[in-house]
Amino acid sequence: MEERKETTATTKKKQCFWTWALASVIFRLVLIHFSRNLNLASRPEISTPLTSLRRLAEGYWLKQSSVSPYAGSMYHGSPLLLSILGPLTVRRGEGQHNHLICSDFMTAMLIRATGQILQMTYNQSLKSLGIVRLLERSEILSSGDIAGLVYLWNPLTIVTCVGSSTSPIENLFIVLSLYGACRRLVPLAALGWVIATHLSLYPAVLVVPLILMLGYGPDSPPRKLFLQKTSIKVGKDPSIGIHDQQKEMASQPMLPIIFSWPLVIHFILWASLWSFYVLLLCGISVNQYGGLGEMFKSSNTYGFILTVPDLSPNIGVLWYFFAEVFDFFRNFFLMVFHLNILFMILPLAIFLNHRPCFLAFVYIAISSLLKSYPSVGDSALYLGLLGLFVKELADIQFSFFLFCGYVGTSLLSPVMHNLWIWRGTGNANFYFATAMVYACLQDNFGGGECECNA
Amino acid sequence: MSDLGADVNYHKFHPQSENNICSRGINTVGIIRAPRGDGKEAIVLVTPYNSSKIDLAEASSLAIAYSVFSLLTRVTWLAKDIIWLAADSRYGEYAPVSAWLRDYHTPVFGGFEKLGSEICYESNAHHRLKESPITERNISDDFRRAGTMAAALVIKVSGRNKEADDTLSIYAEASNGQMPNLDLINIVNSLAVHRQGLLVKVEKFLSLLDSKYLRIVGEVFESVGYIARSLNPQWKFGISAADYMEGAATLASSLYYQALGIPTGPHGAFRDYQVDAITLEISPKALLNNKVRQTEFLQRGGQLIEGVIRSVNNLLEKFHQSFFLYLLTSPSKFVSVGVYMIAFALLVAPLPIVAASLYSDANKKHRTSPFPKSADDEHRNILQSWKWLYAAKQVFIIHCLGVFFYFSNQMPDWISKIVTWIILGSPIIYAYAAQSQKREWCILKSMTISAAFIGLCLMSVINFATAEIGALLLVPMCLVAHPLRLDLGARSLKAFTRVACNLVLGFIGFPPAAFFVLKGAFEGFESVNISDFWNWIACLCAWNSATYLYICMVHLPCWALCIWILLHPC
Repeated sequence: MEERKETTATTKKKQCFWTWALASVIFRLVLIHFSRNLNLASRPEISTPLTSLRRLAEGYWLKQSSVSPYAGSMYHGSPLLLSILGPLTVRRGEGQHNHLICSDFMTAMLIRATGQILQMTYNQSLKSLGIVRLLERSEILSSGDIAGLVYLWNPLTIVTCVGSSTSPIENLFIVLSLYGACRRLVPLAALGWVIATHLSLYPAVLVVPLILMLGYGPDSPPRKLFLQKTSIKVGKDPSIGIHDQQKEMASQPMLPIIFSWPLVIHFILWASLWSFYVLLLCGISVNQYGGLGEMFKSSNTYGFILTVPDLSPNIGVLWYFFAEVFDFFRNFFLMVFHLNILFMILPLAIFLNHRPCFLAFVYIAISSLLKSYPSVGDSALYLGLLGLFVKELADIQFSFFLFCGYVGTSLLSPVMHNLWIWRGTGNANFYFATAMVYACLQDNFGGGECECNA
Repeated sequence: MSDLGADVNYHKFHPQSENNICSRGINTVGIIRAPRGDGKEAIVLVTPYNSSKIDLAEASSLAIAYSVFSLLTRVTWLAKDIIWLAADSRYGEYAPVSAWLRDYHTPVFGGFEKLGSEICYESNAHHRLKESPITERNISDDFRRAGTMAAALVIKVSGRNKEADDTLSIYAEASNGQMPNLDLINIVNSLAVHRQGLLVKVEKFLSLLDSKYLRIVGEVFESVGYIARSLNPQWKFGISAADYMEGAATLASSLYYQALGIPTGPHGAFRDYQVDAITLEISPKALLNNKVRQTEFLQRGGQLIEGVIRSVNNLLEKFHQSFFLYLLTSPSKFVSVGVYMIAFALLVAPLPIVAASLYSDANKKHRTSPFPKSADDEHRNILQSWKWLYAAKQVFIIHCLGVFFYFSNQMPDWISKIVTWIILGSPIIYAYAAQSQKREWCILKSMTISAAFIGLCLMSVINFATAEIGALLLVPMCLVAHPLRLDLGARSLKAFTRVACNLVLGFIGFPPAAFFVLKGAFEGFESVNISDFWNWIACLCAWNSATYLYICMVHLPCWALCIWILLHPC
């Protein structure tokens, strides 16, 4: 009887999920048709010099005219994206949006699958720790479904999809790598990681959580809890109440706390294979225009991301700063800003080594805050992944204020931009103030997350 | 115009009309190229006239402009080009100016057809103008341009006024409460008052001048100033009661016209392209029916305009030193943004504080012990910190209805009527539907107050005057909202006064009710008509005013949520 009730509940949940997922796709299609006035593609919060589809169209046109796509200093992305998305930008239709909608949908499916795996491992580790009673209740909140729906219905995701930006594709590959690592599918994880790094440089820091995930397995409670349980089992006499559970536990195998090196070595091999393949394809693609050297020239792709030559406003904090810094100190401050991300890798990895999925989430949040050309597509990704950790975030104190802050900032930023550029009664300080508030919000958000997982 | 040696062209435009009647208008544009200038900047003079029926006043405005124009062709100090736009105002004064500006700023290359000319297929023969080949040398059909516009003046002459002297009325508000730089108004005012001896007026609410309460407040201020001056002769902030009342009436009018978001004259079209522009309406003290009076009037008006153009001509940069955000209290006095923002900030500051305190109170009441005794407690703890999501969902649904309402003018009538009734009926529906869910009203109120705060802050950046008036109506209602059942059950004086306040504020918060009450207070209750409100809303909608956006997406949803809280079952 209970099983039948459970199966009806799960089928109802599944139907609920699929109806909402399809509704979000339909909503995106409707919005694409009716949103010409909003000019989403020209807003700096949505399309940055790296992710704008207009620039991709110009790069493709240059390529068709037998000139290097990087000659116009408009396009700064990967040559592979040019070959895939370029032909779609030629006709003035909605073709490019279908790809973005598909990638959003697939990202949501992958997040859901990752959530299910995480939940399974969570239940297993609870079982092995002996906290059986929590298992019954935790079936109600399916974090995978919630996370998938949060990603699909997040207004930031919808606006990025409708606004012709290539962020959904980058997000898809990041989530693909996380999913592959959770499922211990090494080639898939390596593919996702290589392509995500190739498209935008910052997912390279995800190599640490991916290796931890492949080595230790997905998120689990801290290892000392397991050690405590074994010591209790060995030392004390069985007391009343946990008598049966201990006997149960004694018959269950202990979760292995070993780091599986073979998987990691496989991952490194596959990653080098995939990166070699990607570089080969890129080389073929730009062969006529100077080969790979053209791509790696400074201020074309990776040099553009690292040296930040384009200071058009966006929702990050680098553009305003680098508009004022003297040339003498420019390289120094570039290093400071990029090392800011790298410095946080090691301490967080030590702190959160038992929860590599959450570690990946924190890395994504940090890189979307401190990267050189952030957009709301990056925030969309980590807000979507937030849903995977709903149970752990139960203690977060300021969720309400952060929510209001996000709503207020995302509405205030276009208004300030309008005031500055179109009306002329504001100036760059207004817009930068909004960007700073947004950065503070993300900081508080990340800090709150880490704190309640302490 | 071409006789004077200016470049002339005819600009044909198609004003948008509601019934898609094919209408055409022709503006006449004349450009004087400054002989010693570099041709990069221009000053624009606009004179609207009704080409099918010209009356004496419009003819006088054309006459003033023509005399100034002919002077400027001969003068030596001209550094910027002068454009004279004689706008065909058969279908309204704003449309020809905005059409000309749109075509001016979007050059079309390659000889493609202008947009809008596909709508009407009329042969040119119907509207061909008589051309005499001898005299009209420089007239062309090409669109002539003259560089960026430094400033623009719209000149109108109206009928006879009741004052003792020739009067100049200044209209400065553009769309969404934007104002030209204060320097332009200062130039016009000082030249008119000190050089020409004209009487300068700005719009004010005449009914406020008779108000007894305002007189009492003015006299209080006067006595306070007198006392302060007697204590310390250097404290000279006193203001006489008459000055206070005039200033208050002008301030209220300035605030209202900015809040409407509708331009008060054809100069509003210039603001969209960041050009400072004002409308000058000159009205003579006597009928201009004999030559002496006409000459005198033309001379005064012409000298004023020549003085303004000469001042703008000598500028090296566009106006940017003075204020863009201000409220006029008289033609020569103003309140700047640094002063009036404080009032708004004080009004809106309690909102986040109350929201935070309500939220933390609601959370504290239900915090169980930190160690979960059972799985139920843990589950409840998880849901506890995400409880505000339910309130967020309700607030979001109401705001979605507001968005729907905003876009309903583009949908057929029956949909918008249904949506209207849904919004108005939603509190009652919810009050019955939510019987089973005893949700916290504290968190709902906290969420409503946060939504109101965000909406008001955003609106204050877009159009301050709307946000100010909206805050005056919305903030008390949001702060005092309390479920009526709790208060009626309490039976104390405090609870009773709160119920009374809630009912009064809830009534005034409803936009039509507020409109009727304020209109009745200012113009007397006899002139109030039910359809006035819909006309007013339709007007706001037609001009794409941000005030309509505010009413639909912030004011109406917050009002509906407050009524929801009032009717909350608990």
